[in-house]
Amino acid sequence: MKKHLIIATSILATLAAIAQQPIPASPKKKSILLYGGTVHTATGKVIENGEIGIRDGKIILVSDQDTSHTSLTTTYSNSQTTQVSTTNSGLTKTEKSEHKKIYSSKEYDTVIDCTGKQIYPGFIDPDCSLGLVESGAVRATTDVADIGALNPELRTLTTYNTDSKITPVVRINGILTAQIAPQGGLISGTSSIMSLDGWNWEDACYKADDGVHMNWPVLYSRVQLNPDQIGGFAPNKNYDKQIQLLQKFFSDAQAYAKQKTHAETNVKFEAMKGVFDGSKPLYIYASFAKEILASVTFAKNFSIPKIVLVGGLDSWMVTDFLKQNNIPVILTRVHSQPAMTDDDIDQPYKTPAILQNAGILFCLENDGDQEENASRNLPFMAGTAITFGLTPEQGLDAITSNTAKILGINNSLGSIEVGKDATLFVSDGDALDMRTNIISLAFIKGKKIQLTSVQTALYHEYMQKYGLK
Amino acid sequence: MKKILSLLTFSSSLLTICEAQQTLPVNGTHDIRHSCYAFTHANIFEDYNTALTNATLLVKDGQVIDIGVGVAIPSDAVIYDCHGKTIYPSFIDLFSSYGMQPLKPQPRTGAPQMKSATAGAFGWNQAVKSQTDAEQLFHCSPADAPSYRAIGFGAALSSQHDGIVQGAYTLVTFADTVDNEAILAGKAAAGYSFSKGISTQDYPSSLMGSIGLIRQTYLDAEWYKNAKHKTEVNLSLEAFNQLQSLPQLFIVNDKLSALRADKIAREFKVKYIIKGGGDEYQLLDEIKNTGRDFIIPLNFPDKPDVQDPYDAGMVDLSSLLNWELAPLNPGALEKAGVNFALTADGLKDKSAFLANLRKAVKYGLSTSGALKALTYNPAAMMGMQGEIGSLKKGMLADFIITSGDIFKQGTCIYSNWIKGCPYQVNDTTNSDMRGTYALTVDNIAYTLLIGGDVNTQTATVVDDKKHNIPGFFHLANPMLTISFRPFGDTLHPIRLNGLISADNKTINGTGTNGLKQIQWKANLTTAYTDTTPETPLHIPSLNEVRYPFSAYGRTKSELDSIQKASKEVVIRNATVWTGEKDSVLLNTDVYLKDGVISAVGKNLSVAKDATVIDGTGKYLTAGIIDEHSHIAVTDGVNEGAEACSAEVRIGDALNSEDICIYRSLAGGVVACQVLHGSANPIGGQSGIIKLRWGMTPEQLKIQYAVPFIKFALGENVKQANWGDVFTVRYPQTRMGVEQFYYDEFTRAKEYEATWNAYAKLAKSKDSPDAPRRDLQLETLAQILDGKRFITCHSYVQSEINMLMHVADSFHFHFNTFTHGLEAYKVADKIAARNIGVSCFSDWWAYKMEVMEAIPYNATICTKMGIVTAINSDDDEMQRRLNQEAAKSVKYGGLGEQQCWRMVTINPAKLLHLDEHTGSIKVGKDADVVLWSGNPLSVYSKAEKTFVDGVCLYDIQNDAAMRTDIASVKASIINQLVSEVKPKAKQVKK
Repeated sequence: MKKHLIIATSILATLAAIAQQPIPASPKKKSILLYGGTVHTATGKVIENGEIGIRDGKIILVSDQDTSHTSLTTTYSNSQTTQVSTTNSGLTKTEKSEHKKIYSSKEYDTVIDCTGKQIYPGFIDPDCSLGLVESGAVRATTDVADIGALNPELRTLTTYNTDSKITPVVRINGILTAQIAPQGGLISGTSSIMSLDGWNWEDACYKADDGVHMNWPVLYSRVQLNPDQIGGFAPNKNYDKQIQLLQKFFSDAQAYAKQKTHAETNVKFEAMKGVFDGSKPLYIYASFAKEILASVTFAKNFSIPKIVLVGGLDSWMVTDFLKQNNIPVILTRVHSQPAMTDDDIDQPYKTPAILQNAGILFCLENDGDQEENASRNLPFMAGTAITFGLTPEQGLDAITSNTAKILGINNSLGSIEVGKDATLFVSDGDALDMRTNIISLAFIKGKKIQLTSVQTALYHEYMQKYGLK
Repeated sequence: MKKILSLLTFSSSLLTICEAQQTLPVNGTHDIRHSCYAFTHANIFEDYNTALTNATLLVKDGQVIDIGVGVAIPSDAVIYDCHGKTIYPSFIDLFSSYGMQPLKPQPRTGAPQMKSATAGAFGWNQAVKSQTDAEQLFHCSPADAPSYRAIGFGAALSSQHDGIVQGAYTLVTFADTVDNEAILAGKAAAGYSFSKGISTQDYPSSLMGSIGLIRQTYLDAEWYKNAKHKTEVNLSLEAFNQLQSLPQLFIVNDKLSALRADKIAREFKVKYIIKGGGDEYQLLDEIKNTGRDFIIPLNFPDKPDVQDPYDAGMVDLSSLLNWELAPLNPGALEKAGVNFALTADGLKDKSAFLANLRKAVKYGLSTSGALKALTYNPAAMMGMQGEIGSLKKGMLADFIITSGDIFKQGTCIYSNWIKGCPYQVNDTTNSDMRGTYALTVDNIAYTLLIGGDVNTQTATVVDDKKHNIPGFFHLANPMLTISFRPFGDTLHPIRLNGLISADNKTINGTGTNGLKQIQWKANLTTAYTDTTPETPLHIPSLNEVRYPFSAYGRTKSELDSIQKASKEVVIRNATVWTGEKDSVLLNTDVYLKDGVISAVGKNLSVAKDATVIDGTGKYLTAGIIDEHSHIAVTDGVNEGAEACSAEVRIGDALNSEDICIYRSLAGGVVACQVLHGSANPIGGQSGIIKLRWGMTPEQLKIQYAVPFIKFALGENVKQANWGDVFTVRYPQTRMGVEQFYYDEFTRAKEYEATWNAYAKLAKSKDSPDAPRRDLQLETLAQILDGKRFITCHSYVQSEINMLMHVADSFHFHFNTFTHGLEAYKVADKIAARNIGVSCFSDWWAYKMEVMEAIPYNATICTKMGIVTAINSDDDEMQRRLNQEAAKSVKYGGLGEQQCWRMVTINPAKLLHLDEHTGSIKVGKDADVVLWSGNPLSVYSKAEKTFVDGVCLYDIQNDAAMRTDIASVKASIINQLVSEVKPKAKQVKK
């Protein structure tokens, strides 16, 4: 039976390679032990030679193999274990799993030797458009922004495309969860948090309708001052009008939320209820310092319980304000140009460290051009942030545990801790450095996912064609 | 009739006197006057350099008939006593649209417009308006003329200033007369610019396109002129040729474009007078070296808004510095020996002209220089110095009468005379009554203070309780009116009228307090003295100018000291990645001398004064070269209106002040190919530059670089993602792209054959006309001859394969597929032809044709033996190309040295620069980078970047510059906010 299953799996894997799309992981309950690797828990702790037990999709054990389970080594050597071996592409080449009792108090279907490897909690990409945009230039494949200025009722959940060819490419770099956020207008809609694996959006949903996204009107926009100049900033003439629009909308929506019954149901206001009762954070997109000050004050004036600043280009200028108001930040692309010519040339690189040192809860995101396909570079932005002042642990937190806290999913995700979902992966080396982010094994909620994609399939196809190794 | 007149207030009836046009019918009786006017006892500037004291100016029939001290005054002359007054030749503005109808731009539809919308036998491009004749568009504007006359101008060179070739400008006066009289020179000058103005035609859509169009127009006009057998009538070219005998004006808005105009002038051996942007002081040596005449505006920058600390963050250092330094511009040009004229153009409010002129004088412009720039120079630039600009015998009687030295604050212009006709500017009939008076009104004593400007005198009444009561004051010689409200008495305002005594010292009259008639008088007790303290002026210095004029620019002295420290540099004991066969050298010294790598080895002995840098624990590599960059370009990287734009050159539009240059240096980049965009199948010529931050555009260019051109394939060139209206330009399919290439190359081949045949002909009178020089075909012919190389934006395999076949069939070597995202699918074919690939590390999916782009592309190509480079195509990514190269370790497992070559020696090879740069080898350019750690690691930083041996980025120097930027900005902002000039000058560290 077991044998058959293995063969069946490998056939499926082959089929997947041909189809160029990985097949979602099997829902079968399993128990797995990873041992021997360096565990980056994202709780500030790094466990050398650690071990992680997984059962029913949850982490049931996280420990230091040397100190707490000295007998393990012997036990392992007697069992048929799996050695993770990888090709340069990060694909798992061989993996055999055998049933065997290997530990006095626990049973694991699969035991995997991760010696020399690095184990991380799955990275989380907040505010992204995976599954909403397949190819930015092809209008038929984009579903990220609708018409109208005030659309809190729009939900990304049901549009999220689990069959996107991009998602498998992104998760190969360790991004296993994402907040799928709408764009456009003043209020873009309602996001959902998705696991990057699943047959359909119901499967993939991690947290439905988690928050409402508001684009604060810009005070300035970039303009070409005259043909011979590079450009500058001009004030937004419609700023006041747009603020009035929001003011009215929030006032009416709040009044609606207070009503016990409604003469007429307003789907927009229905979608805002959670913002006022605190069940959904209000994600405020604001860049420049004055926009941040104005937008947070606006939300505070409506007594909105959960406010998250997104973008926050100038957040480093207003750290006292953010700290006093306890506002977390989903920080705009680290790999960006400074906004102004005079800015410190490494300003975007060092903003994370400034926020960290100011004691502000923040995480990194990858908004902007090609954000859906470039999501795969999120870990390297954390790497850059480390080069410019974060500790390696803080850098990791900025794409895992901090993100989970800000998105309100930290009870079950974001770190390698007992009781949390086993959404994690094994990398050949430092996963925040592009040279060594080579991922051989990844689990989403304890299910091993296939690390293949259109890209790996094409790679192998043509390596084969040319007879290359 | 009274012999001695004060200067009259002139009514409109005087207009007719000034109209001497003989063909004009007269409605009424003729009133022809040939009076002689004598302006006596005046200080007169006969010209900018010759001041006469107590002199006389004689004017008759609109001309100066004599000038000098002791000139005999004809007995019938009307005499104006100008005692205490000064007479200057009136000013001439060479950049004006006075009397022109405003342009009526046609709205653009959004759809492409490939042909000119101008009907008629004109040239193909709507922006070449050589046929425009401002003379025919001119109409006197009594509404606008006073604003020019009020600031001293008597004549102007006027045009609508529209288009790239703007046609003929006309020289006119500001007289209120018939148009026929106002025109001094019908076709006075020809004008050019880089802006296509209201032309609705798509081409040109970029600065480099404008330059391409100008160059081709010069060539076409020459060809048209010389053709014995004209094959077409081209009114634009005919007009263009006629314009060439006139003074030539080229309009630019900034210093770099001034240099661009100069380059065109040199190529076509024309003498441009350049109308500049007022920022010439920022690049003074180069401006001076053009040797051109300039027309300079006095529209100094408005005060930047810095009151709000956050908004102040939107104002950059260059704006602040420009605000501080721009008034130095005229004086700096004068000292540099640049010949220039001043214009009132660009002032939102013309009345600010005199204030700015005086400011320029305070900032170092000599008064004779200022006067010259307003009178003689503009006249001479127009070849009219014998008629206007001075007040010599026989010249036009165009002059202004002022209350004194025009360059002193408070001096006013009384009247502006144009061709002997007076126009009043300020009321000269009124006396200067300013002073302190003992005022008695109905036996109550007050003190009366008359102050203000001489033209706008004001009154304040002080009562015995020292209450200052502002009063109404109106002067109308010989009477004046004062009214005021006694303190505490709102019911009985006092209104007074009085007569001024001949000596201006007493006023007597009657008035009323509402109840009764009252008597009053005022006796001068203290004469007026200007007590307003002259605010001590902080005059900044040109030493504050940064090169480039931007944050992170360096002052001249800083640049000098960097150059000095870079003469000989040794980096000691570093891990050296050579990029050569030896790859990695541990604990090695590298010696940089006079811009080249002079030695590589251990424990090198060095000159005493060499700069020694400890490289222990650090990595030294060749600098990064970006094969595909779009930084440092002004106004457009695409000239995409036409399918072929081979005539345009990125090198014409380089912007040496782009901050991306400095930021890229900080990422270890030393050189890049600045490419035309991918809007059309045949793009423009590349600019291959080193990142010589602080140098001029021409100095950025690598002298030994071979010519390149950008081609492009796929969705961009067939405009697939441009919007629904972009279905006009051929080609719209990949099929069309192929045939477009065949056609263009075939034509280029035939073009070359035609020229070769022509060259072989013995020239005689009867020999056939020379072929037309075509900048596009000439460029394409260079490709066929192997003298120019192609780098082609390419995605899918079919089109890559197609283009290789096109090259094969025309027997030239194809150089590089840039992007080449599906190169991996035809890597064997590319390798077989020895073609290079320059790709992104991992971009994909953003459009249909990149759905099968894979990050393993570079790896497969490398393994197939293709010279492969990783490029950025993006200013942000350009400063992290080391990280992009590192991705091939991950994607496909390339070795670190192979990865590193993809951003150094490989792009150098693709660009044919590898003999000079791209690796660490004795004799090569000292383009090297010192890294804090392994350069492929995300955790490493470039610490020093050397270009030609000069350390242009240094992480410590960068920190110092940040401090400097902050302190200079703070200092200028303090000036702006407090209006109090700082006591000490900003001292730079």
